[in-house]
Amino acid sequence: MEENYLAKWLNNELSEEEVSKFKLTKEYTTYKKIVDATNNMEAPEFDMDKAKRDLYQRKEENKGKVVRLNPYKKYLRIAAVIALIVGISYFYNFTGDEVVSTQYAERTAVTLPDNSEVQLNADSQITYQKKNWKDNRNIDLKGEAFFKVAKGERFTVSTDMGMVTVLGTQFNVENRKDIFEVSCYEGLVSVRYNNKETKLSAGQALVVINGELRTSEIANAQQPSWLQDESTFKSIPLKYVLDEFERQFNIKVETKNIDLEQLFSGSFSNTDKNLALQSISAPSSLKYKIEEGKVLIYAETP
Amino acid sequence: MHKTKRLKEENITNVCEEEVYASIFSSHSKTIFNYIYYKFGNEEKAYDAVQEAFIKLWENCSKVAPHKAKSFVYTVANNLYLNVIKAEKVRLKHREKALNTEYESPEFIMEQQEFKEKLDKALQDLPENQRTTFLLNRIDGKKYAEIAEMEGVSVKAIEKRMHLALKSLREKIDGI
Repeated sequence: MEENYLAKWLNNELSEEEVSKFKLTKEYTTYKKIVDATNNMEAPEFDMDKAKRDLYQRKEENKGKVVRLNPYKKYLRIAAVIALIVGISYFYNFTGDEVVSTQYAERTAVTLPDNSEVQLNADSQITYQKKNWKDNRNIDLKGEAFFKVAKGERFTVSTDMGMVTVLGTQFNVENRKDIFEVSCYEGLVSVRYNNKETKLSAGQALVVINGELRTSEIANAQQPSWLQDESTFKSIPLKYVLDEFERQFNIKVETKNIDLEQLFSGSFSNTDKNLALQSISAPSSLKYKIEEGKVLIYAETP
Repeated sequence: MHKTKRLKEENITNVCEEEVYASIFSSHSKTIFNYIYYKFGNEEKAYDAVQEAFIKLWENCSKVAPHKAKSFVYTVANNLYLNVIKAEKVRLKHREKALNTEYESPEFIMEQQEFKEKLDKALQDLPENQRTTFLLNRIDGKKYAEIAEMEGVSVKAIEKRMHLALKSLREKIDGI
């Protein structure tokens, strides 16, 4: 028999003579049966429609890849978005004012165009003009900030309560609800409050509470204690101390049976909430409780 | 003359074109499924191979000429399971012939059943390449030349596989 004759037989490539010879062999019956049986066999079902749906879904998901081949378009899109953002912010801020602000429990440092430095305490905001900064060093302040002013033209900090003017120095200005405080750490500071000018030299502070002005000495003469994560007070009504606590820890303070006008002298940590509460409550024999999202400070009735 | 005409047609049709792609899918997806199933006896693997092959074809549609697409998808499907050593049991269905049971004796029916079982077992026991080749020819009606192209071997090698496959099936069934 020819080589691979079974394959040739299946493919009808055998001559008639070869086929009749093959049919005479004893194996032929089984071969025939196998071929007949396999003619009626089927592979498992293949759901072509489902396969096509699955495939087209994957193709869709892969489309990102196709887009990536055309990066130019993508950049155009980004450029358009940037142009839009710049356009809108210019429209809303056409005065050219730079605004920097902090939230509760947040602090930030700003370097001004002349390298003067500003440290912004929690819940505070400064506004200034970048343009012509050297000729017009004026900053609007809400809240509290420490300034390290580079030598140059007059440097002015305006608040809605008073104005602070210097030539080159380091000082802290706090301007909250009913409190206005300026502390001078270096050089000479001129504070204008109610059309009255007060000059502060290094180590001196000016505090206005409820319209009443007084000057005092500052203990820490290097820089304000909040820059070292402490809030320091000298004869300040407790309510302002608690306000500062709320700002530093971004947590609501509630009080019960407490005289909020009593004066507080001392400091509290701006990083450790429990320690801070102890520092505030202990001197006046107060108690505190930390509840969910708030702190309750109360006096125990005897 | 004939050659230039063909080249021109190839330039016109592109696998990236939806109609061309879809027609390649409908003519070859089922064969790929069967092909991988005959090899490994696993429907899931076979289904995934179809998906994989056609995703790859889509990703490379601009690089694959339409007349090369067929061998491209077979190659991708084949390469997917190169490291799969153990095949599972290949199970095939036997279409019921319209038997006229009145004329068939119970003995005959039993004998038929027995034969089918023996055949199934014998097919499972075939070497993977013989089984795949044999079934592609018997069930899918693929020509030896087509199978040779799919498997990347010569037509002569396919003939050898067909011959050996049928021979060992017969030997198994006749209990040699």
